[in-house]
Amino acid sequence: MSDTESSLPLFQQYQLAFTAHIRHPRQHMRPAGVQAKRMRVYNEIVFNNLQSSVGACYPVLQRVLGKRAWQALVRRFFAEHQASSPFFRDIPKAFLEFLPQVGTLPPYAVSLAHYEWVELAIASADTVTPLLTAEGDLLQGIPIVAPALAVLVYDYPVQKISARFKPRQALPEPVHLLVFRNEQDEVKFVEMNAMTARLLQVLQPGELTGLAALQQLGLEMGHADTDALISFGGALLEELRQQDIVWGIAVGDEAGIRPDAS
Amino acid sequence: MKQAQSHHPIKGAGLGLKRELLPQIQAAYGTGLTAHLDFVEIAPENWIGAGGKYAKQLAWFTARYPIVCHGLCLSLGGPDPLNEDFLHQVKQFLDQHQIPLYTEHLSYCTDGGYLYDLLPIPFTEEAVHHVAGRIRRTQEILERRIAVENASFYVASPIAEMDEASFIRAVLQEADCDLHLDINNIYVNSVNFGFDPHAFLREMPGERIVYAHIAGHDQEAEDLIIDTHGQDVIDPVWQLLREAYELFGVFPTLLERDTNIPPLADAMREVNKIADLQMAPQGIARQQPADPISRKRVPA
Repeated sequence: MSDTESSLPLFQQYQLAFTAHIRHPRQHMRPAGVQAKRMRVYNEIVFNNLQSSVGACYPVLQRVLGKRAWQALVRRFFAEHQASSPFFRDIPKAFLEFLPQVGTLPPYAVSLAHYEWVELAIASADTVTPLLTAEGDLLQGIPIVAPALAVLVYDYPVQKISARFKPRQALPEPVHLLVFRNEQDEVKFVEMNAMTARLLQVLQPGELTGLAALQQLGLEMGHADTDALISFGGALLEELRQQDIVWGIAVGDEAGIRPDAS
Repeated sequence: MKQAQSHHPIKGAGLGLKRELLPQIQAAYGTGLTAHLDFVEIAPENWIGAGGKYAKQLAWFTARYPIVCHGLCLSLGGPDPLNEDFLHQVKQFLDQHQIPLYTEHLSYCTDGGYLYDLLPIPFTEEAVHHVAGRIRRTQEILERRIAVENASFYVASPIAEMDEASFIRAVLQEADCDLHLDINNIYVNSVNFGFDPHAFLREMPGERIVYAHIAGHDQEAEDLIIDTHGQDVIDPVWQLLREAYELFGVFPTLLERDTNIPPLADAMREVNKIADLQMAPQGIARQQPADPISRKRVPA
């Protein structure tokens, strides 16, 4: 016991010994005078609850690693990680942040875990939707993309990984995935090329017209034929509108935002 | 109304709002099935800051039902500093959704980090002062009284200086807060630690009760019950609730069902049984001096 702990009131020393044992039963004895049979109830329920909270978010990673490796991983997370958020949906996020330090995982594991976690993050993202009209010219107007949206770039084909497909090496070119919440609040993933992904990133702040965004892309890509880019880009924007990724164009000023729950 | 003269919107019988039950309640709204569902309860740790379909579901319920917030992670008995940032978020959430009642557990769930489970506080004099101080601070930040719940547990602390009932009474008195009486937890602990649940009930400070829980559990051994909230409520627990109403008057009571979730119709049978008990003559006869919530609200 450290000096700080021994200066604590007795009941807190006991509480910390109690949880130290729950987190790491092999390293820390249960507090003196506590019945082994009853202590085991806590060892089991606290770990099992955490394991099911984490597991619910990572079904694929769980299957890919196999039951024993998965249990050992969650066990280590439980023993070593000090979770700082009282919100339950932050448990999977803390687990994701813990993974890079593990060291013994397959090289695609962190990317796969991120891909699984982002579904939860996008489903529950607390967003506001700017005032918009679903119709309107996407080149002249400011396209509004789905408020809960992220462009993801992975070195592994995370969307294809399963117990039967575990990639041995990274892709020659990274895969671009778009994840977004549509107007029915369903989370969708779409694979796309690098240019579309970049266009969505440029549009996401909701500041540029479709035309200005395409011109910026042309500059970034060193594209000489601006007319061709704009005609191609205009069709692309329409396609994104069909897919519920672009929701329309902005109307009015920024005062006109509505909270999504109303 | 079953509870006369209360201006408090939380009355009658309620049900914990589990995600599995949520669409069923929405579908059954306005039908006979949910006629006796007077309020619902949510854990703020699941709903604060949640957008998308969760925000819309919450908005649907706040527009139709009075809501109780029953917290899980405040760690009133924990060794870490009280999470005041979180409490400010709770306050904003309660205000935004006009939630009149926030309750928490007489337990701890932190040791420098969150463990997301309810662990027992040793019943010592120092612990009484520690917990009571944190409840007072919580009430200060939230600008309202809170109710704390008697928790279920499995390990008797070898350093305890008093029994559970004395600990509860001492904390409530020093904190000057309300009691969220969990009827099932009294029964669970009476089996796990071999005491008389009826005697325990009579030791509770009835004037502080504003809210109650009832639930089922899993009996693992003759002397061990795991408080899963995963089975139907058993008769001795119903009997304890009836007895509590007789002793202290009727108070709003909620059915907790957290695992092994049945179809809504099955859960509603138990909610309706709560409503029946509240209507029983002995409940009505005693309810006049009770009405604890409206009387005990703290002016903001």
